[in-house]
Amino acid sequence: MSSRVPVVGALFRKELRSFLGNPTGYVFLTLFIVASASAAFLTDTFFSRNLADLATLNQWMPAILMFFVPAVTMGLWADERRSGTDELLLTLPVRDGEVVLGKFLGALGVYTVGLVFSLANVAMLAYLGDPDTGLMFSTYLGYWLMGALFVAVGMVGSMFTGNTTVAFILGALGCAGLVVAGMAPWASALVGLVLLAALGALMCNVLLGRFAAIGALVGALAGVGLWLGGVPWFIDVFGALSAPAHFASFGEGLLRLGDILYFVGGTVVALYMCTILISRRHW
Amino acid sequence: MTTQDSNRGSVTIRAENLSKIYGDFAALHSVSFEVRRGTVAAFLGPNGAGKSTTMKILTGYLAPTTGRAQVLGFDPSDPDQRIEMSRRLGYLPENGPLYADMTPRETLEFVAQIRGLGAGTRSAVDRVVSQCAIEQVMSKPIAKLSKGYRQRVGMAQALLHDPEVLILDEPTSGLDPLQIREVRQLIRELGRSKTILLSTHILSEVEAVASEVIVVGEGRLAFAGSLDQLRAGGTVEERFYALMDRKKPEAA
Repeated sequence: MSSRVPVVGALFRKELRSFLGNPTGYVFLTLFIVASASAAFLTDTFFSRNLADLATLNQWMPAILMFFVPAVTMGLWADERRSGTDELLLTLPVRDGEVVLGKFLGALGVYTVGLVFSLANVAMLAYLGDPDTGLMFSTYLGYWLMGALFVAVGMVGSMFTGNTTVAFILGALGCAGLVVAGMAPWASALVGLVLLAALGALMCNVLLGRFAAIGALVGALAGVGLWLGGVPWFIDVFGALSAPAHFASFGEGLLRLGDILYFVGGTVVALYMCTILISRRHW
Repeated sequence: MTTQDSNRGSVTIRAENLSKIYGDFAALHSVSFEVRRGTVAAFLGPNGAGKSTTMKILTGYLAPTTGRAQVLGFDPSDPDQRIEMSRRLGYLPENGPLYADMTPRETLEFVAQIRGLGAGTRSAVDRVVSQCAIEQVMSKPIAKLSKGYRQRVGMAQALLHDPEVLILDEPTSGLDPLQIREVRQLIRELGRSKTILLSTHILSEVEAVASEVIVVGEGRLAFAGSLDQLRAGGTVEERFYALMDRKKPEAA
C-alpha cells in the first residue's frame, strides 16, 4: 500500500500543531526536560564516576519515557473517537495506513522536539568535561529509536478507547511491559501472559467476531501452563522484548544491527497493529 | 423498491440488501433503495431507525455485514474504490464532528490538503465560506462556536471540493428556525446540480427539500419512492405514522 506524502504531511502537521498549540503540551515537554536533567545530574553517581557521559540518564530514560510518551500519544485516536472526528477523517480520501503514519509521525515529532531541548544535558556535559561526540550521537539515536517504539505502543493503547485517561494507562502499561521484561523471570513471564491473553482476544475477535474475553482467558491460561510447566524458552522469548537491554549498546557507543532492528521492527509491528485496530470499525 | 422516475439520470447511490449486525443486535435488515442522479432524496425515520448506519456504510466508514453499497459505481467497502468515491462525495456526519482546537479556516485548509486541492484551495475556501455564511467566525476556535455555526462549518467542509454527491446526516439538527430555513435553501440550490441524500426525522423537512423519499423504521425499509407517491394516500405525516405502525417492508 503506497502512502501519499502530502496527505501524511497534512496529518503530521495537524498533530504537531494540535500538541504544540496547547499549553498542556508545553507542560509535558517541560516535565520531560526537568525529569531527564534530574536523572542525569541530580544523582551522586554522576559526580563520583567523574565521566562525561549520560550513563545515569540511560538507566532512567526507559522509565521516564514510559510516562512521557503515553502522555503525548493518549489523545491521538481516543480524542478522535470521543469527538466523532474519526468519522470525518476516515471518510476523506485518506487510507487507514496514512492516518496511522501521519499521527505516528506527528507524535514522534513532539517527542523529537522534547529530545532536542534535552540536548541541554549534553551542553552541560560539555561545560563540565569533554563528552565523546560519537557516544553522544549513539546515545541520542538510542533515545530516539526507543521513543519511536514507545510512541507506536502508546498509539496502540489510544486505539482501544475513547477516553484519554484510559488511553494513557493502556499506553503506559504497554511501555511498562517493554521496560520490565527481562528484569526478572517473573516479570518476563507476566509480560508473556499479557501478550498471550491479548493474542487470544484478538484471534477470537478476528476469527469469530466475539468471545474476546474467553480468548484472553485461554491465552493467559496457556501462558500460565508454559510458565509453570517450566518450558525453557517461555521466559527467554519474552525477556528478549526488553527495551532497556536493547538500548544498552547505544549507551555504550555501539550501533548493533540487532538492536536497531528490534526498535524499528517493534515500531513497525505496533503501527501495523494500529492499522488493524483502526479497521475494526468494520467488524 | 426504487425511485421509479426513469426520466431522471442514472443510479448514483445504490443500497442492495444492506444489513448491519452488532453481536445479537441487527441495526439494519436487508435495506435496498436507489437514488438517481440529480435527485434530492430524504432519508426519513425515527431516531435509531438505521439512517446513520446506512449513511456510514454508503460513505465507507462502516462495512455492511451483508449486502452491497454503491456510490457513483464505486464500492465503498473496497479501500481503493472508497478513495476514488470520496473524492467525488461530500459527507456531513451526524452532529457535524469537527476538531475543537482548530479554527474553521484551519479545518477547511486541512481538508483541502487531504483532498489535494493545491492551488485551488483559496478559491474553494472562499466559495464555501460564502455559501455557508461563515465569514464572521473563520478565525475563532471551533470549540467556541455555536451549534449552528459548527453545523455550517461541517457543511462547508463537505462542499469544499464541489462534489457530485452529498450525503448529509441530519443537516438541520440543532439549528434555530432561521438557520434551518437557510440550510434548506442551500440544499435546494445545491440540489439543482448535485445528487443529495439527507437524513432527517423532521417530517416537514421532507416536503421542504426532497423529491424522493426513503422511509426506514427499526432497521427495515418501509417505503422508497417519490414524494408524490408517498403523499398519494394522505399527508406525509399520516403516511409516515401509518408506515411506522405497520413496520413492514413495502415497495413503492
